[in-house]
Amino acid sequence: MTPEANPHLIDYLILESSMICLIIGQDGTILKANSCADSLSGHKLEGHPLNDFFVDFGRALDLTVFLNGSRDKILVNISTSSELPETYYFRFFDLGNSILALGEANRQEIGFLRKNMLELNQELNNLTRELLKKNVELKKLNDLKNQFLGIAAHDLRNPIGIIMTYSNFILEELNHEMTDAQITMLNTIQTTSEFMLRLLEELLDINALESGKLRLEAHKTDLLGLVRTNTSMMNVIAAKKNIHIQVESYETIPEVIIDRGKIEQVLNNLISNAVKFSLPGTTVTVKLFLTGDHVTVAVVDQGPGIPANETDRLFKPFQRTSVKATAGEKSTGLGLSIVRNIILGHHGKIWVESKVGVGSAFYFSLPLSS
Amino acid sequence: MITDELYSTYQSNLLAGSRSVCSHIVTDLIHSNIPIKELYIHLFQRSLYEVGTLWERNKISVATEHMCTAITESLINLCYPAIFSANHTGQKAVITCTPGEYHQIGARMVADHFELHGWDGYYLGSNTPTDELIKFTMEKQPDLLAISISVSFNIPSLMALVKKIRSHFSDLKILVGGQGFRWSGADEFQTMGNIHLITSLDELEQKFLIPRRHDT
Repeated sequence: MTPEANPHLIDYLILESSMICLIIGQDGTILKANSCADSLSGHKLEGHPLNDFFVDFGRALDLTVFLNGSRDKILVNISTSSELPETYYFRFFDLGNSILALGEANRQEIGFLRKNMLELNQELNNLTRELLKKNVELKKLNDLKNQFLGIAAHDLRNPIGIIMTYSNFILEELNHEMTDAQITMLNTIQTTSEFMLRLLEELLDINALESGKLRLEAHKTDLLGLVRTNTSMMNVIAAKKNIHIQVESYETIPEVIIDRGKIEQVLNNLISNAVKFSLPGTTVTVKLFLTGDHVTVAVVDQGPGIPANETDRLFKPFQRTSVKATAGEKSTGLGLSIVRNIILGHHGKIWVESKVGVGSAFYFSLPLSS
Repeated sequence: MITDELYSTYQSNLLAGSRSVCSHIVTDLIHSNIPIKELYIHLFQRSLYEVGTLWERNKISVATEHMCTAITESLINLCYPAIFSANHTGQKAVITCTPGEYHQIGARMVADHFELHGWDGYYLGSNTPTDELIKFTMEKQPDLLAISISVSFNIPSLMALVKKIRSHFSDLKILVGGQGFRWSGADEFQTMGNIHLITSLDELEQKFLIPRRHDT
């Protein structure tokens, strides 16, 4: 029996069916819609144009196309109240002055999609499980590495200290008995030992920071005063390279609650880096200014600048950029990572702005409140 | 502690698909240092058993049942930092579902219990093809193999799998279990050698995971 042959059947379908049932006028207006269609669309469809319900992707719906030829099911995407379009398969029947459209979902397709969704979800959960397991294992390995690093660095510090002390003693007390070549060798021992000691100190710092052992002894501090003191000490070193360090601050900087020693370490690191990568005759400027509820410090140099694709790795341990120190100074590759951790420990922020051929500016900001 | 009131809130939100509320409840419980086993048994397992019963009695649709399972699986992920932190004992278990078994959460909870007790719980998930399982077992050489079924009509598939496994690994200790044994099927396995039917996570823990003192 076809719907055309039995009007009661049509009424029944219109009202009760779980299929979408629409009576559409020749002008494309929905004359009647059953509760299934209304419920899917989220509103009463009666009186609305068909393309309020059918997703047409910009092409005008041509009902004559639906009515021509066979009664094959036609795939139509419909708008739903869930905002996710759904696909229904429609048959269209000519009722004379109007068109009956009957749409049903493809159960096979839904079943197939549901099975795939379930499998994908299970796969995702299983992969998440594996990932979390690996994460915990990596954390354990990292803790072990830190433990090892801490022990190694701590135990190596004393022997290096002894090498430095004795080479210094020989240089100072016995240099008149030595040849120039021997003095050069001893100088090399001393500078190498100094570098090794610095590396060990930084490894210990990294180890402490990574193990969450950063202990801040925070007190109210005059940050501008601290910057001035630090800068004046660093000027002695900078002068050897004919580099001048200056401080710029045009506003009253309130006292901040910080660990003086640690922030001094940050300033030392940033200023010595600026000096390390600057050419003679240039200036390093340390600026202090207020930014909302933070005080910001900028260390600005006129060095070669850092390529944009290398700035991301600056604050990671053991990472170096392609930029070379202007007087061959060595780097441990740990300084900026330590600096970053200290600033984060103060609930501050650190970042860099750099342009090749112009220079670099390293910024850190600290909250004004505790 | 999981009170009846808390459980009830969790369960109603699970059935309503409110993942974020369920997630808050689980996160709060983890932060309160609840034993993971308690969370698994008194929240995840209890609620899923109830969901299963509602489904069997045509009170909820299969889609709702799947949604509850999917939410629970995602919530279990929250427990992993605690679960995987246990010190490893060096013992290994492979945990899997039979071919055709698509309910994997029970097996996953078993695998997590092995991990919680310091075992390496290699978890292969649902619908594991037999050949892959055999290959994996040869590679890992586990101390035991645990196979889960959640629906009873997978018992024949489990039987076939066990026979195939036995033909390759004559001495391997095999544990079978899961909701698939709720009504029947246990007898067939109990007469087979070195195969143990496990009816609960508690039983698994008591018999296989907690080291027993030697009798003097």
